[in-house]
Amino acid sequence: MNTMEIANSLPMWLACATAVGLVIVQALIFAKHAYHAGLKMGIEREQFKRAVKSASITSIGPSIVILSGMLSLLITVGGPMAWMRLSLIGSVMFESVAAGFGTSSVGVHLGVDELTPLALTMAVWTMTTGSIGWVIFATFASSRMDKIQHKLSGGDPKKLAAISGAAIVGAFSALFSQHLIKLNKNAFASVLGGVIMAILLYASEKFKLGRLKEWNVTIAIVLAMIVTACI
Amino acid sequence: MENKSYFENEYMPKMHRIGKLIGFLGVVVSFLPPLVLALVFGLYPKLSALLTAFISALTAFGILWIIEPISYFSVLGPVGTYMAFLSGNISNMRVPCASMAQIAAGEEPGTEKGSIIATIGMAVSVIINIAVLTLGIFLGISILSMVPPKVKESLIYLLPALFGALFVQFGIKSKSTTTLMLVFALMMNVAVMSGLFAWLPGASGFVVILSCVFVSIGVTMRKLKASEKKQEQ
Repeated sequence: MNTMEIANSLPMWLACATAVGLVIVQALIFAKHAYHAGLKMGIEREQFKRAVKSASITSIGPSIVILSGMLSLLITVGGPMAWMRLSLIGSVMFESVAAGFGTSSVGVHLGVDELTPLALTMAVWTMTTGSIGWVIFATFASSRMDKIQHKLSGGDPKKLAAISGAAIVGAFSALFSQHLIKLNKNAFASVLGGVIMAILLYASEKFKLGRLKEWNVTIAIVLAMIVTACI
Repeated sequence: MENKSYFENEYMPKMHRIGKLIGFLGVVVSFLPPLVLALVFGLYPKLSALLTAFISALTAFGILWIIEPISYFSVLGPVGTYMAFLSGNISNMRVPCASMAQIAAGEEPGTEKGSIIATIGMAVSVIINIAVLTLGIFLGISILSMVPPKVKESLIYLLPALFGALFVQFGIKSKSTTTLMLVFALMMNVAVMSGLFAWLPGASGFVVILSCVFVSIGVTMRKLKASEKKQEQ
């Protein structure tokens, strides 16, 4: 068997499918519990419906961007690994760099030299050992960080909400600024997205357009994308 | 009040238990592909080379293992943290989808109901992400050639546009803090680009998000305290 036949073999598919399956199981279990808890806490079915619809629409665009990243990984480490790595702990940036570290440790340069079975093995091991740190830390720190946050807020739900609100403003300031600072078309798209959003928020407030509010972000993104791509 | 005790005393402990169990299983199943290579195909890694590769990965990404969960914790919440770090793609998928679900359902982030909705939004994004990838792997490269080039180009601008729109959506409630944070974030970017943080291991871009989250929390807490004092007087 050559390297790619091994990388795309049935045992590899089964191993990777088990891992992807676990991610799906987690999402389903968490969603089920959250849904039942939400109903008990007085969240309306209609709110859930809107949440699912809105998250679905938002997911499609980034998913396609991740897909194009997966296709480049697919050529280097085969279908199953590319598919699994971008479903489990993965990010496009990390995976290709980690794969490169692995292969170059045995003198094979990704995308230049032909992948030997050993280089494939090294890539797989490096991607695995290099990424589990995220899950280990996040899994074991989550409940501790929760306790710290509760202590910080004194258990006051208003303060807790203020902390989250502030963290979100901080996070989106950072993410927005990282595009803004580039002063290229990305910067233009992000400013345009923000400006259109501000106009829509103003309009839906002023003219009491409740229905428009749900679509604000989608309209802002799509318009900003199209305009940026056209200029 | 009954609802509150349900969330804190029943829902959250259960989610912590499940989250920890699945996180542990996640580490185990990550090792299935390398184990298959070893046990089925007899392909073992060269240990010395693996050490070199692992140390490269550790210096490039190791600090992110700790910094990212801390930075995003107040954004994702405890349940979101379990889910986001097992599935990955955090800033480009999980955070936007959780936020969008909350906006659509009209629940605020950081509240108990908001946390429930964020979990639903993230779960949806996980399923769709995997569905699109699975479709892509079976249709292969041909699927991307089906997308017109103009659409492909505009997709590059999706995330910047989304971040800009969400920045305004969430920032508009506290304009002074938001303006301050944007100025601070831009300054941090300039500092990173000028190499001020080059002494840190790995790509030092994480400094921007970490500092922005905690400075923003700090500023908001101070404001809260100040307004509480005013009320007391």
